[in-house]
Amino acid sequence: MDQSICINLAVERVNTSVPTREQPCKLFTPGEIIFLQSDFMRGHGTYPEDDVLKASVAGVVEQIGKLISVKPLKNRYNGEVGDVVVGRIIEVTQKRWKVDTNSRLDSILLLSSVNLPGGELRRRSVEDEQMMRKYLIEGDLVSAEVQSIFADGSLSLHTRSFTYGKLSQGILVKVYPALVKRSKTHFHNLPCGASIILGKNGFIWISPTVSDANSSGGFTQNLDQKVLKGDREVIARLRNCILALAASKIPLYSTSILYAYEESEKYQLAELLNPESMLDIAILTQQKIQMMEDF
Amino acid sequence: MLTSKTFLKKTKRGNILKIVREHYLRDDIGCGSRICKKCAIINENAILDDKLSSSISKAYVNPHYLIVDTNVVLHQIDVLEEDVLINVIILQTVLEEVKHRSTSIYKRLNDIINNPNRKFYVFVNEHHKDTYIEREPGETANNRNDRAIRVAAKWYDEHLFENQRNISLKKVIRIVLLTGDTDNKEKATQDGIFAASVEDYIYCLKDSKGIEDKLSKQEISYNEDSKEIFPCHLTPVQIHEGIKTGKLLHGSFQASKENFLEGQVNVEGYEKSILIQGYIELNRAVHGDIVALELLPEEQWSAPSEIVLQDDEVDNEEQIVESEIIKPKTVKEKTPTGKIVGIIRRKWRQYCGILQDNILQNSTRHIFVPAEKTIPKIRIETRQAATLIQQRIIVAIDSWSRYSRYPSGHFVRALGKIGDKETENEVLLLEHDVPHSRFSDKVLSYLPKLPWIISDEKVLNNINMFMNCLKQIAKRTDLRHINVCSVDPPGCTDIDDALHCNLLSNGNYEVGVHIADVSHFIKSGTALDEEAALRATTVYLLDKRIDMVPELLSSNLCSLKANEDRFAFSCIWEVTSHAEIVQINFCKSIIRSRAALTYEEAQLIIDDKKQTTVLAESLRNLNNLAKILKKKRIENGALVLASPEIRFYLDSETHDPIEVQAKQIRETNSMVEEFMLLANISVAEKIYEEFPEYAILRRHPCPPPSNFEPLIKAANYLGFEMDTSSNKNLARSLDAAQKKDNPYFNTILRILATRCMLQAVYFNSGMVTKDDFYHYGLAASIYTHFTSPIRRYADILVHRLLAACINADPTYPELLNKKKMNDICHNLNYRNRMAQYAGRASVALHTHMFFREKVQDEEGYILFVRKNALQILIPKYGLEGTLYLAPVKGGEQYVNFIYNEENHTQSYKEIVFHTFDPVIVQLSLDSSNIQHEKLIFKLVKPYIHNFSVPSVKQDTEKSQSNLNLSASEKRKEGDAFSFKSSSKKKKKMSKQ
Amino acid sequence: MDLVSSQGLRIDGRRPNELRKIRCKLGVFSQPEGSAYLEQGNTKVLAAVYGPHQTKGSRSKAIHDAAIVNCQYSMATFSTNERKRRPRGDLKSTEMTLHLKQAMQASIKTDLYPYSQIDIYLEVLQADGGNYCACVNAATLALIDAGIPLKEYVIACSASLGNGDVPLIDVSHLEETMGGSNLTVAVLPLSGQIAVLEMSQKFHIDHLPVVLNEALNGCRRIYEILDEYVKTHLNEIGTIAGWAKSDF
Repeated sequence: MDQSICINLAVERVNTSVPTREQPCKLFTPGEIIFLQSDFMRGHGTYPEDDVLKASVAGVVEQIGKLISVKPLKNRYNGEVGDVVVGRIIEVTQKRWKVDTNSRLDSILLLSSVNLPGGELRRRSVEDEQMMRKYLIEGDLVSAEVQSIFADGSLSLHTRSFTYGKLSQGILVKVYPALVKRSKTHFHNLPCGASIILGKNGFIWISPTVSDANSSGGFTQNLDQKVLKGDREVIARLRNCILALAASKIPLYSTSILYAYEESEKYQLAELLNPESMLDIAILTQQKIQMMEDF
Repeated sequence: MLTSKTFLKKTKRGNILKIVREHYLRDDIGCGSRICKKCAIINENAILDDKLSSSISKAYVNPHYLIVDTNVVLHQIDVLEEDVLINVIILQTVLEEVKHRSTSIYKRLNDIINNPNRKFYVFVNEHHKDTYIEREPGETANNRNDRAIRVAAKWYDEHLFENQRNISLKKVIRIVLLTGDTDNKEKATQDGIFAASVEDYIYCLKDSKGIEDKLSKQEISYNEDSKEIFPCHLTPVQIHEGIKTGKLLHGSFQASKENFLEGQVNVEGYEKSILIQGYIELNRAVHGDIVALELLPEEQWSAPSEIVLQDDEVDNEEQIVESEIIKPKTVKEKTPTGKIVGIIRRKWRQYCGILQDNILQNSTRHIFVPAEKTIPKIRIETRQAATLIQQRIIVAIDSWSRYSRYPSGHFVRALGKIGDKETENEVLLLEHDVPHSRFSDKVLSYLPKLPWIISDEKVLNNINMFMNCLKQIAKRTDLRHINVCSVDPPGCTDIDDALHCNLLSNGNYEVGVHIADVSHFIKSGTALDEEAALRATTVYLLDKRIDMVPELLSSNLCSLKANEDRFAFSCIWEVTSHAEIVQINFCKSIIRSRAALTYEEAQLIIDDKKQTTVLAESLRNLNNLAKILKKKRIENGALVLASPEIRFYLDSETHDPIEVQAKQIRETNSMVEEFMLLANISVAEKIYEEFPEYAILRRHPCPPPSNFEPLIKAANYLGFEMDTSSNKNLARSLDAAQKKDNPYFNTILRILATRCMLQAVYFNSGMVTKDDFYHYGLAASIYTHFTSPIRRYADILVHRLLAACINADPTYPELLNKKKMNDICHNLNYRNRMAQYAGRASVALHTHMFFREKVQDEEGYILFVRKNALQILIPKYGLEGTLYLAPVKGGEQYVNFIYNEENHTQSYKEIVFHTFDPVIVQLSLDSSNIQHEKLIFKLVKPYIHNFSVPSVKQDTEKSQSNLNLSASEKRKEGDAFSFKSSSKKKKKMSKQ
Repeated sequence: MDLVSSQGLRIDGRRPNELRKIRCKLGVFSQPEGSAYLEQGNTKVLAAVYGPHQTKGSRSKAIHDAAIVNCQYSMATFSTNERKRRPRGDLKSTEMTLHLKQAMQASIKTDLYPYSQIDIYLEVLQADGGNYCACVNAATLALIDAGIPLKEYVIACSASLGNGDVPLIDVSHLEETMGGSNLTVAVLPLSGQIAVLEMSQKFHIDHLPVVLNEALNGCRRIYEILDEYVKTHLNEIGTIAGWAKSDF
């Protein structure tokens, strides 16, 4: 290990902000009055007091009809029905798994919300409950979809589709949930040779592309299969790119990740960990995105 | 607006710490000059003149402002106080350094700065963005400060120049830097700043008005070959090392009043103070200095010499009599003895005194003789000797060189003609640090406007106009229907207490003590209050009263005059006929005194059985109750002490003393006293209960056993045992010590006992543990002063506290600030002590005047027997003096007294002098030296041939009686003050 | 020694109503949800906020209708002049923790997060007076960074009396030790509600309103400074994220 380790002094730390063309917009900070009238519907990040609507978080105002909400930059994941998430099993209890999805309460994956082997819709028997640990145990990663939201705000997940299920070999990257942009699909098979699941909760799963898509939403985990070095490098590069973008707060979606990947090619894999090169990638990516938008 | 800068500081506190503090540099600090347009907005108080017509100095053409460095302020403060110097810039660097080095000079400098006429401007250079400099590596703090001063001077020069571009060069206002340091001066000149030493500057003034005399002389050159008199002082580093290793000790040096070659140092941790004897050993220490000393080996230890020695040398250069007589040959009881090796801090101040006659005419060098015996003579230079020789003057010490027998100093100011009563009083007040200037207009502005009327609806129809007064009354209990009277010494104008006593239906008595409500008039935080707090007490001189509060209050509005409505603070008890307190009530009240009696009058009323008025009855009741109270108190162990009490009869016109008499004490004196004590104790309990942390109380610490040694010894000579283990036992043994053949013996013993006592002090209850509250003299577990708010500030504070207790007044922040109250207590104690000394000094002064051109025989008692003298007390005058047994220098000795150290006796043939022996001495005033009059004691009886003098009685008796007659005729008003003063003093003493 | 010179400057050159220099930074850590670094003069504090998350430990602690706020205050060994090991949970820091919790709870809209917990960790890196104030202010910044809903900022400021009657604000360590009583107030500056008020010793009733008023003014000014910083910070990074765009 003759690699030099670079530790920067606080004063020399790289400013990760990226120049942008966007105009600064009106920001609200907690306690600030958003609207003086009372005919509003209060959304997230707001609260009414003395007939006025005030912001409770620091961020920008979003208005949809009469619904007014303030969107903070960073937040814990606020689940919505239909969101694709990646989560980690943290507890197995009767008839349910508890899943850490980076939301403020642990999410629930009910035994009845998973496709059991054999696939058919059938009543879950006591045997199934006893078998739960066979399927998923603490520490396992799953991809799932938000099925519903409980009264206390915790999420109920399901893996009823074949696309969801236990995750096998790959890397998990955690970013701020707000950075993951909502899109039609969150499952991507990137042309560079890896698959990626962009969980809305900020958990991103990068794995080698699996050729056969017939694994039936299952609980199979093929840990024996060797992933080739080339694939591993691609995966690592993707991870570093995502981190670079996240550090500069650039939204994450397939295009931005791909652009970043392309820009990163000029660097050695290890060089991507330098804050300078991370910033470089972020800036180049940002420019590219803007260019594309201009067209 | 803010630029911040951190700087590092290392301090040593066992281990080295790195302290980082912020230091903000500002751009909003004005230069303080009216000429400056740039600073116009930020100059809060531009004080420096913009139109200086021309330079006041011959050396500089340009008009200029002065900048002074630290040493100039420290050494030449007397010069700076002169009005000639105006438009001076004081840099913060200098101010801080001065503050650090000398508090007293800092105070004086601040006084100058606060005087707008002097036009002194403080420039905060350390926080100005352009004048702040950082200490360079290797630079000493001093050099850094010097550089800071130069940088600031330079900045000023340029800054001012920018404002005067279109003015001819010769009229541009410049900066002149005054510095004592030649190196600094040179560097400043290199930088293009005008720089000069103070001396040069002052000598070049166009109109110096004689302030050259006030220049402090730091270096007086002595001939190379002149003899070194004193050994070198150790350097501060050496002293520090020495103290650390325990080789050296340190403490404050107290010069002996009796022997100028002797002194002692109180060292912490040593039971006895350490004796210093001899010129070399004293090594230029002046009374009060903090010194470093080395303990001598035990075989060189000595005892305080028994002789009285004065520095009568008529100067002649440097020959010092280090004769053997200084040190007692046979030393019976050795005390630790040491020698002074260094001075840690000088406590020099300004001293009053006179110039010694100079044999050389027209010489500018003179010797100054301070009035205080503990201070050495001082060498000064002046050209005004001819006029000053007749005057009392003030002189400051500047330095004391190794080559000089006396310290050198400079003239500060003249007080007035020697012997002039005004001058002498002035000296007295100055020496005792008594603030005695007129009350300023600002202070007087807080006085109520006359006519001051208390009104209520009964008396007044026009209610609106007096709504305020009504409100005042609303809070007060109307006690005008009660028969209140005051009992005071004759001629008393500041009556602060009055009494009443009623028989209640249940057989108990209602006793009331009514104290003038001074706190009603003196509101906290006003200039009036501050002035009173500073003065702390009214000072009674024989012919003069220095009031604590303006006369309007002290003699009119607060004084509980007869038949006038007055505001009072009343303390009303219900007591049984055995003087047991049933209940206490405090209230603010309004009273109307029925009569302002003297002690004598009150006594007459009590004794005159025919008088049966309400007043007479209540006086009799009071008197009876007082007797019971007194008995109880004495049973508890309260001491009855004595101090020589006298009164002077003054000539009504000249205020010269005509006759002296010991004063009489009547029953009524003690009657008033008892109730005052009762009130004080009751109030103390009340305020302590309500404000356990903030009560102002008075305590009298139990004296350490060693204090009683002289008393025990003296009593032992005559075969009496003194039990000093407790106040009760002491009181008992004092009572037992009676001698039939010597009726005054007991009194002398009590006088001696008084001298063993410690001072009673005011304190803040939050700063002392409850066990230490004890009042030894009164045997009271808690005590305070409540009854004389007109003449004592402590009482005002107590009034305020009590008022807060009964919800009559709100508290205010300072009253509940322990630290502040503690500071005030310190001041009160200091002023009280000084007032007491001043009072005594005034008596001494009048005694001198009384004996002017008079020779008189008086009966006296021997207080102490010394090796070469007898210490004699004349009870009639309360006077103490020395009868020298050894011959005065140059005189021939005919009689050889033999001193017995064992028994403390002096004997000649069959005549033996013991302590307490009665003698008759002849008193006369030695006016041979007009500047320094001395009272001479000569022995008349017992007659010793060739030593005693014949009695003068025969010739003087006639004229004496004549004098007495005339005196008593003139007495009517003339003695007003005198009587008052001594009787007030009596109160103070007995109450301690 | 006077805390205010006759020229009206304090020992460090400030005027009585001036704050020390404030510098801050949001998002200094990547791991916690929110974090902030704050300097008030030489007092330097790090704050980190985790959560809201499921309550850790026994479930019984959880409240059914509100989030638990958990604070921890600690001082670095090197934070004071003398290096000193400072074990967690000594009396002083426990007290500090309680007061911090009280201040933060006053502002956090805990009712939005039933069964949850919010952890706030505070570390004093350098102590030069007003540690509590700096902690409260840093915690507020960290909470904002974490996007946790607050009623409004909680701002704390200290005040004392110099020369007996001159109110001083943002008291430094030197002034704390040399002067008399210190007052610390944590307040919601917009509504003026006081969350915490603490005095090291008694103040006289006559002085209290004056000192308190100055402290509140100080809070208001700190609020303005912090708010401005928060806005520039958000603007800087928020615009890159294409924040204002509706497709979010």
